[in-house]
Order: sequence, then C-alpha cells, then structure tokens
Amino acid sequence: MNALDSVPELAGLRRVALWAAVSGVLATLAGALFDPTQFFRSYLMAWVYWGGVALGCLGLLMVYHLTGGGWGVAIRRLLEAAAGTLPAAAVLFVPLLFGLGALYAWTDRAAVLADHVLSQKAAYLNVPFFIARTALYFVVWLALAHFLDRWSRRQDETAEAWPGERMKRLSGGGLVVYGLAMTFAAFDWIMSLEPHWFSTIFGMIFIADSALGALAFVLVISYLLARGGAFGRVLAPPILNDLGNLLLAFVMVYAYVSFSQLLIIWSANLPEEITWYLHRVEGGWQLLANALAIFYFAVPFMVLLSRGNKRQPRRLALIAGGVLAARLLSVFFLIGPAFYRRGLGAHWLDVAALVGLGGVWVALFVWRLSSRPLLAQGDPELAPALARKH
Amino acid sequence: MAPASHPHPPAEPPASKGAATPESAFIAPGHTFGSITDKISAIVLTRRTPVGWLLGFAIAFGLVMLFLMAVTWLLLKGTGIWGVNIPVGWGFAIINFVWWIGIGHAGTLISAILLLLHQHWRTSINRFAEAMTLFAVACAGLFPILHTGRPWLAYWLLPYPNSMGLWPQFRSPLIWDVFAVTTYATVSALFWFVGLVPDLATLRDRARSRVGRTIYGVLALGWRGSARHWARYESAYLLLAGLATPLVLSVHTVVSFDFAISVLPGWHTTIFPPYFVAGAIYSGFAMVLTLAIPIRAAYGLQDFITQRHLDNMAKVMLATGLIVAYGYAMEAFIAWYSGSFYERFMYWNRVTGPYWPVFWALIATNIVIPQLLWLKKVRLNVPVLFGIALVINTGMWLERFVIVVTSLHRDFLPSSWGMYYPTMWDWFTYVGTIGLFVAMLFLFIRFLPMISIFEMRTLLPESKVKDSAHA
Amino acid sequence: MAHEDPHAPRLYGLVAEFDSPDALVAAGRRAVQEGYRDLDAYTPFPIEALHEAMGFDRTRVPLVVLIGAITGAVAGYGLQYWASTIAYPLNVGGRPLHSWPAFIVPTFETTVLFAALAAVFGMLALNRLPQPYHPIFNTPRFALASRDRFFLAIEARDPKFDLVATRRFLESFTPREVTEVEE
Repeated sequence: MNALDSVPELAGLRRVALWAAVSGVLATLAGALFDPTQFFRSYLMAWVYWGGVALGCLGLLMVYHLTGGGWGVAIRRLLEAAAGTLPAAAVLFVPLLFGLGALYAWTDRAAVLADHVLSQKAAYLNVPFFIARTALYFVVWLALAHFLDRWSRRQDETAEAWPGERMKRLSGGGLVVYGLAMTFAAFDWIMSLEPHWFSTIFGMIFIADSALGALAFVLVISYLLARGGAFGRVLAPPILNDLGNLLLAFVMVYAYVSFSQLLIIWSANLPEEITWYLHRVEGGWQLLANALAIFYFAVPFMVLLSRGNKRQPRRLALIAGGVLAARLLSVFFLIGPAFYRRGLGAHWLDVAALVGLGGVWVALFVWRLSSRPLLAQGDPELAPALARKH
Repeated sequence: MAPASHPHPPAEPPASKGAATPESAFIAPGHTFGSITDKISAIVLTRRTPVGWLLGFAIAFGLVMLFLMAVTWLLLKGTGIWGVNIPVGWGFAIINFVWWIGIGHAGTLISAILLLLHQHWRTSINRFAEAMTLFAVACAGLFPILHTGRPWLAYWLLPYPNSMGLWPQFRSPLIWDVFAVTTYATVSALFWFVGLVPDLATLRDRARSRVGRTIYGVLALGWRGSARHWARYESAYLLLAGLATPLVLSVHTVVSFDFAISVLPGWHTTIFPPYFVAGAIYSGFAMVLTLAIPIRAAYGLQDFITQRHLDNMAKVMLATGLIVAYGYAMEAFIAWYSGSFYERFMYWNRVTGPYWPVFWALIATNIVIPQLLWLKKVRLNVPVLFGIALVINTGMWLERFVIVVTSLHRDFLPSSWGMYYPTMWDWFTYVGTIGLFVAMLFLFIRFLPMISIFEMRTLLPESKVKDSAHA
Repeated sequence: MAHEDPHAPRLYGLVAEFDSPDALVAAGRRAVQEGYRDLDAYTPFPIEALHEAMGFDRTRVPLVVLIGAITGAVAGYGLQYWASTIAYPLNVGGRPLHSWPAFIVPTFETTVLFAALAAVFGMLALNRLPQPYHPIFNTPRFALASRDRFFLAIEARDPKFDLVATRRFLESFTPREVTEVEE
C-alpha cells in the first residue's frame, strides 16, 4: 500500500518533514561532534517538545476511550498515530542516556558528597536508578500504546463490542499509571536539572503542558486533513466548537497550575524554592517569562472565548498553531535557564535539534497515520457524528 | 460585537436525535410534560407533609438549638471555650470550614460544569445539589466568622472607607478567602434563583392556596414563559455556568492558599490547589449521594434519579479520589525528595506521631475503601454505595484534621510543640452546623421543587422539535 | 383609527393555543415570515428551534456580561492597587507594595462577581422583569403555559394585525383554540 493512500492531504507536510529531518539531523550531528555537551542539552529540549506531544496524545486517547464523546471520534486516529510513534520516540530518547553527565549536576559524585542536600537525595538521584526508572516509564507507555493499538485494529475488523470495552477498561487504570509515569518523568528529566529545587505540582505542569501541546498539534493536522470528504464532515462546527473549548480549558489549566506554583513560591520566598524563579526572572529571562504569559495564555485565552473563532476550521487551526509554537517558549522556560546561567541565551544547536527531531517525528507520525483509514469505522461514536447536521 | 464576545457558547443540541436518545436512560419511560410537572410539584403543593419529614426536621431543629447554645456560650466566654491554643490556633473552626465549603463544590460542579459538558444526566440532581451548595457555604462561612472571636466586627474584613483609615491587607490569603467565599455565595445564590424562576411560575400557576399563589407569584417575578425571555434566559444561564465553573475551582484554590502561602511544612506545598479542588469535588459528590439516596427512596423519585445517576456520580468520586491519592503521594515523595529536615520530619510525624491513628484512618477511608468503586457491582449496589459515600465524607473531614493539626502541633522548635484536643463546645458547634444544614435542606424540599421541572421537560423526546430545518 | 373610550377594554391580541412544540414552531416561523413583528410565543421550557425560527436567538446578554466582567476586573485590581500603594502602604514581609501576583486572586473574584451580577440583572432588565401584570395572563388556560401547553400571541398593535385575517392565519395551524385577549 502506498504510504499516502489515506492521507494525500499530508503529502506536503511529509515532504517538509523529511527535508527538515535530513537537514536538521545532519546539522545536529555536525554540532554534536564539536560540542557534545551542547548537543545533549539541545537534544533534551527537542525531545521534551516532540516527545511531550506524543505522550500527551496517548493521554488524550485514553481520556477519550474512558469518556467517549463526539470531540474524540474526529481526532481519534491522529491521537492513535501519535501514540504509535512512541516506540520510535523511546529509541530516540536513548542518546540522552549517554549524556547524563552533561545534563545533570547530580551525576557528579564529588559535588553530591560536598553538598548536604544533594547527598540526602542520592538514593534517588543516581545514574543507574535514573536509567531504570526511565526504562520503566517507557515500558508503561509503550504497553498502553501497544494494547490500545491492537484492540483498536480489532475494533475495525469486528462488529463486536469487546475491543471497545477493553480499551475503556484499560484506559481507566491506564490513566493512573500514565499519570504517575508522566509525573516522575517530569521530576527526573526536567526538575532534577536544578537538583536542589522541588515542587509537588511539577508533574501536573508537565502533564498539562503535554496535553495542551498534543491537542494543539492534533488540531493543526486535522485542519490540513479536513478540506473535504468524510473527515471534514465529522469535523463539523459543533465538534470544532467542543475541541476549541477543550483547547481553551487546557490553556486555562496550564495557566492555573503554573500560576499556583508561582504564587505559592513567590509568597513564601523560601531560599530553596525561590531560586528556581530567580533564574527565570533575571538576566533577560523575564522577557521569555512575559512572552510565555502572553502567548501561551493571554492571547489564546482571549481569542478562544469567541464562539466564531472556534467554529471556523481555519481560525481554530491558526490559534492551535500559535499555541503549538508558544509551547516552544514553555519548554524553553522550564529547561533553558538550567543551562544558560549567565542570562537569556540560546545556541544554534537548540534550533537544529528541534528541527531535526521534529522532522523525524512528524514523518513518523504521517507514516503511522497513513497506515489506517482516517476514521475509525468500528467506533460506535462515528455513526452519530457522521449523521449530524451542520 | 455581541456574538464575537460570547464568553461561553450555548450548548449544542444533543448529538443524536434518534429513538435511543442518550438522555432516555436518565428518566423512566412513559412520562409526559404534564406528568413530570404534576409529580414534582405535588411534593410541594398537594402531598401531605410526610411524618418522616416532620421527624427529621424536628431532629435537625434540635441540633440547630444546640448550635445556637454553643454560639451563645462562645459569645459570652470567647474562643477559649474551644480547644484551640498555640501552637494549634486553627482547630475545628478551620477544619469544619474547609470541610463544608468543599462539600458545596459538587453542587456548582453538577449545575455548571456538567451543563457545559452537555451531560444531560445532571438535570434531575442539579437543583438540590445547588441548594446543598448554598447551605454548605452558609455553614462554612459561620466558622471563620465565629473564629475571629468578635463576629459582630466581621465586616472589618471587607474593603470599605472607614474612620480608622485602614484597608485590608491584600497580600493575605485570608482576605482572598473573603473575596472568594462571598463571591461564591452570591453567585451560587443567583444561579440557584435564576434556575428556580420558571419553576416558581409553575408553582404559582398550580398553587391552590391564596398564600401559596401570592408567595410563589412574587418570587416568580411575573415570569410568563415568553420565547423572547427564554432566549435571554438561556444565554444568561449558560454564561453563569461558564462563570461559575472557574469560580468554583478558584474557591477551593483560595482555601488551599490559606495553607500553602505560609512557610509551614505540611501546608506550604505547590500541589495544594489542584489537590484541594479534587478533594472538594470528591467530598461534594459523596454528600450528594448521601442525600440523594435517602431522598429518592423517601419520595419515590427513582424515575428521575436513576441507577445511572448513581453510577455516574460514583465514577466521578472514584476519579477525584484518585487525584486526591495522587496529591498524598506527591506530598509524601517530595517531603523526602526535598532533602529538608523539617519536611521529612513533618511527614514522618504524620505517619507515626501522636496523631497516627487519624492519619491511617484517613488513608483507609479516603483512599483504600473507595477503591471498591472500580467494581460495577459495588457502584450499582445502592446500600453499599451509600455506605461508601458516608465513609468518604468522614475521610475528607479526617484529611482536613490531618492537614490542620499535624502540621501545626509540631513547630520548628521543640519548645513550641503541643497537642490539640477538641472540647465539647467544638463538637457541639460542628454537630450543630450539620443540624443547620439538614434543617435548611428539609425546608427546601418541603417548599421548593427539588428537581428542576422545566429542565426535566426538555429531557422528553417530545420536546425535540422535528422540523428544525427551514421547511 | 377611531377615538377610543379609555374605560372600554382594549384588545391585546389574538392568542392561539397548541398542544405540541412542533405546531408552535411551525406557526411561529410562518408568522414571522408573513411579516408579523409584535408577536411572542409562550412555552413551558426553552425551545432553541423556536428562538431561531422567530429570530429571538440574538441577545445582548453576552455584551452586558462582558461589560460587567471588564468593570469587575478594573475595579478589583484598581481597589487593591490604590489601597496597597497609595491609601495604606504597608511593608508585608518585604513584598513589594504593588504585589501583582497576590492581587490577581481577588481581581479574578471581582471579575466573576460583577459578570454574574450583570448576567442576572442584565437578563432581568432586558426582559423587563419583575413585571406584576401582563395582558397575556388573561388568556384562558394560560396557567398551562407553565405545564404542557404552547401559546402564540399576535398583538393588536402589530401594523399587520387584522382581526379576521390574523384569526384565519392562526387557525390554519389547527390550534386547540384561538382567543381574543383583552388588555
């Protein structure tokens, strides 16, 4: 079967992705030879950005299986395709394991022993345990993605209800372990970049950020796909309106958890906590913080209040694209200041890694998406969605 | 301008209009517009007051008297009659405040969030859940006001120009609380009243006694069911729902700030806002079930509050309970991970310190036992579900006890350590507010329609107009 | 028009009574298409299709709420800014006088409060409620409008109103009854 049989609309996207992959990967590899430390740092940010989208899609997919609803049947295949890239994303994570020393201060044993707080945490923050935990997170995610994919394919083949029932049941418990894995991944991969700092809400921030990125990505792709045909019919204005409201809700949730953390830490002003924010409001980083507040919250929030913007596919896709772009700021806000200590900065490798990994990942996504029909024929929610009047 | 600035969109028509409408399972078959109207309004207008009602109200009223006695003694003697003292300055008053206000959250959640999510099953439970919210907020508000020691000066909390030239300290979460709780009480009351207006008109038109006609008539504001009015009404109601949704989340967030803005280990932790909100919804749904199960049995409302309602509410409890468990897990892990001596000591003291039985009772009631809700059999077994709801109500109270007391009673310096024991006056006040809550609820059931009549009518298939296209 | 006796009861309009929402929506839509403007329908529950059919679905309530929300936000933040930096500056644990992170919380609450008050009182004002008397209540069996009957009223002040023609028009939808209602 030709790879683009079911999604000719994405041929352009695939071409762009492949070009980005080739040029980005070559540039990144070249950069890695000259500056391995910078390579690992840039690569971590790029992985968190694109891997977060894939992981967020897995979470949304499970939420859909659990709750149902017209919003989900339209984007279900896109979520499944993104979740289907997770095995590849896991492989793409492996290079980071060779650069832990360049990323995490707690890998330096002498420094840990000299630091009272860090030596208290050594039982958790050490290289073997870190790798074992990361492996466990991927086992959890891959297992969930695998079984959901398998039963979803069975649902297409059979008229029976059991695959849907099983996906629903798996998603209930699955979301619990998924949430825990996401939380501890956020602690390990991102929070421990500044190993003294801690925040109990940090896992939720990462989950909210990933879910927001995932939904924005899916909305952009569904606009590219929706220029007609049955897919466009399912993506009718009422469904778009629901998806737009979901995007609005996610924008608000991200702002809510982020602002809660800021307000609590700012008010208490404890030295072990406030330093994390001091790194982010000094030396030019305040520009990034302000841009984050404006483009990742204020602007999307305002434009998504309007009903007209949500019901128009083009406008909604533009808004979602803006959110997806602004997520670069949020990932950079979380990770960047740990590396660029002397003030706001970036390296050309940050861009190269983002483009290269993004190209690879999007190409994988398109390939996964084209392997199955765009609409889940076995989904009991599909018939009412197709029958709905505009 | 008007359409572009629409903050929240009106609900879409239900997805499928076929024979098996999704709502149909939430109302027993065979009902008509008339039969729904008659059945619900009869509880208020024509049925005799049941003996059970009189008995229940008498008991609740007795507890209100107990409450008034406790408050009178408090006003005479001062807050010294309570068990609070340094280091535990926030005893029962704050525990009960947080408990009550949390319970209120389910009402707004059911009426606002489920409306926005097109969850039509909310219709038969939203009215009394909203009433529950109002009464719970009323009970909650009493505690901090009484705790100030001079409740007659409570208006000092509000920002108003005064001869002392003072203004509230707006960096304090306690002032945020004043704004949040008063806004919440006001908006909940408005939401509830707006929802009642069309039903009050129904009661006005059906009341047999002159007094009833007059009272319901005045309250109905002259509502006549005009289509022009309905259009604005629907718009306003949806906007209120859109406003109430972030509001309700903000209220328990602000309550969590009362703790988290401090520097006290056990209080100062960033997970508090979402975890308090989840806990509030958790306890609120438990209270809705605690009330709905006996009421539906007593008034024979199984046609309107069906098994599916109970099942859905049980699922919401399970989900929010898991978020609460997640919060506990984060607290425990980060207490260790922080590497901070005080954080670690705080948690270890919770688990093994003098209040260890409370902590482990909390884990059992709030985390372990509710896991039974994973089983469909349990969710569909009404008595067991009722029992679990009671267990969760207890568990959420214990949670607030653990947070308030175990964090305060071990200060940073061992010289400032102490123990907290509630006195009988603490218990009287607490039990008294339960009486107040139940008494108000009894009055509500007796005099107002406890199920939204006009919204129930829209659940019938006949209410769906067939020729909606431009014929 | 002839000079009217101020004490004689004046005609309010013609009111048709229907059994089902479908008949009412059909009649309402035709009436608007025929050019009637001073008309209204009375139903026991909101019928979205009716609002659309009769052109009532555009309301100014959202605009009122938006104005309320902006007022609340400005008033809430302004109050805190003024009280904390000008009227009563107070150093609280070294926090700046203009503590914007802290001020966001009450600002949010006042925004919602003002918007909600605007929604409720704006809706009531646009509906001209409370209104103790209205001629429509003189319709026979109008009490059933809050139970299970559906009414369509075409008012006498409508320029197109004609007692005979309008009655014939209403009767073409086979209502239970068409009555002349006085003010």
